[in-house]
Amino acid sequence: MRWGMLINLDKCVGCYSCVVKCKQEHFFPPDVFGGRLLIAETGVYPRAIKHVYPVLCNHCKEARCVDACPTRATQRREDGIVWVDQDKCTGCRYCLMACPYQVRTYYSEEKEYYPGQGLTEFEKQGKELSPFQIGTVIKCNFCMERIDKGIKQGLKPGVDREATPACVITCPSKARYFGDLEDPDSEVSVLIRKWRPVQLHPEFGSDPSVCYVIS
Amino acid sequence: MIQTRPYEFMVSYTPQVQWIEKGGIKLLLAFFFIELGAGMFLVASLFNNLTAMAIGWFLCAVLGGGFHLLFLGKPLRFWRMLLSSGWKTSWISRGLIFVIFFLVLGLANIVLTQLAIRFTFLVFVADIFAFLTIIYGGFAMNFANGIPLWNTALLPILYVISGLLGGAEVTLGIALGSGELGVGMAMEEWIRPLLICFILLIPVYLMSVRYTSSTGKASVKYMALGKWAPLFWIAVVIMGMVLPSAVVINSYLSGLEKGTAAFIYVAIISGLIGDLATRFLILKGGIYSPLIPSSNAV
Repeated sequence: MRWGMLINLDKCVGCYSCVVKCKQEHFFPPDVFGGRLLIAETGVYPRAIKHVYPVLCNHCKEARCVDACPTRATQRREDGIVWVDQDKCTGCRYCLMACPYQVRTYYSEEKEYYPGQGLTEFEKQGKELSPFQIGTVIKCNFCMERIDKGIKQGLKPGVDREATPACVITCPSKARYFGDLEDPDSEVSVLIRKWRPVQLHPEFGSDPSVCYVIS
Repeated sequence: MIQTRPYEFMVSYTPQVQWIEKGGIKLLLAFFFIELGAGMFLVASLFNNLTAMAIGWFLCAVLGGGFHLLFLGKPLRFWRMLLSSGWKTSWISRGLIFVIFFLVLGLANIVLTQLAIRFTFLVFVADIFAFLTIIYGGFAMNFANGIPLWNTALLPILYVISGLLGGAEVTLGIALGSGELGVGMAMEEWIRPLLICFILLIPVYLMSVRYTSSTGKASVKYMALGKWAPLFWIAVVIMGMVLPSAVVINSYLSGLEKGTAAFIYVAIISGLIGDLATRFLILKGGIYSPLIPSSNAV
């Protein structure tokens, strides 16, 4: 089993809902992101092209961050999810250097979303439900809590909303697909065969589990 | 021009910041003192110079180790680097093991030398770990394949050369200060080839990175022609290469005893500043390739 994601850039409208939903789902503090939207332009008017790439941890099969971690705080599960055990992380930030995709964030200091105005109810709730340790590294974990909980309930990630990563179910244009890359009958595998997506910078040799459909 | 605005993160060339900015400067000092200290110990141990060995050990243990610990977000967990299986793949974990072995064996050697006992095998093993201590930082950075400036086999070699060169320079200063002219002359013999290697390696390293990729080219431009060009030309080239070379040539032609001590000390300090500036620029010039097509990155 290897969880993976397919993002159809032809469908993505660049609305940032995946970025916002990710922050909401995990109660990420300010300046910490599980997913981002990279927006760039090439060419000049009238032939300018806007490129919108939603990026997140690629949960690479040959993850550089896993090899780099000196304490094994960054681990790759059997289902391919790469996650950080915050209790083991020393905050050396070697994983940040090793990740060529730069999808990790070092949580250096506690900040308020509205500086000087105290914590919002959302932030207070986040501190209880999803506490992050200052001085450690935070990254996307493919919403593994949702996946694990869903599987225990007999649900199927990628099919049932409750067991699927938050960014996938929130995407209003249905640009994201999630599923088992090693199951030839999963929706994501079928679409990969159909659409022939590409991985971001395969030359790094890390074999990402996130791929993009680019027309 | 390197853009660092938030909306250009990984859209344009993106410099790494965690290992150089804000608290990251501690890592620069940690690598500098660790490699300088290990280099000093290695060179001094070959000539049984106790003072230089002890100072090298101190620099490595207290300043190098201290800055390393201060850099960590959770310093009290550093022991996990030793007890986990991280050493199988992680150069940071391996480095810590090398440093600890070096410090233990180095201390044993210092104590034995103080007692006028010399176990050649123990010195040899300590020197091997001193060498590994010098080189691991280069391998750790070399592992980052997203940063072309670091992802080159020349980097560990450069760090070994600069670690040994810095160690020999400081040992020379200590030898001259304590009136050990024989050790000083031996250090001069070490410094000459090391300095030549350093002077040749810097342009070879930068040229090789320059032609690796467009990101490599951007890194080299950033270091040598961009914002940090004054530091590169003044500190790395003039202070790190030209001034020490002038002193080495002078002492080669006229002999060490005829060279004025003040001139040599200035050259030693200048060389160390050059070494530190080189390391700073290598960390500062660590730039990631853009992830997506962008006209900003061309």
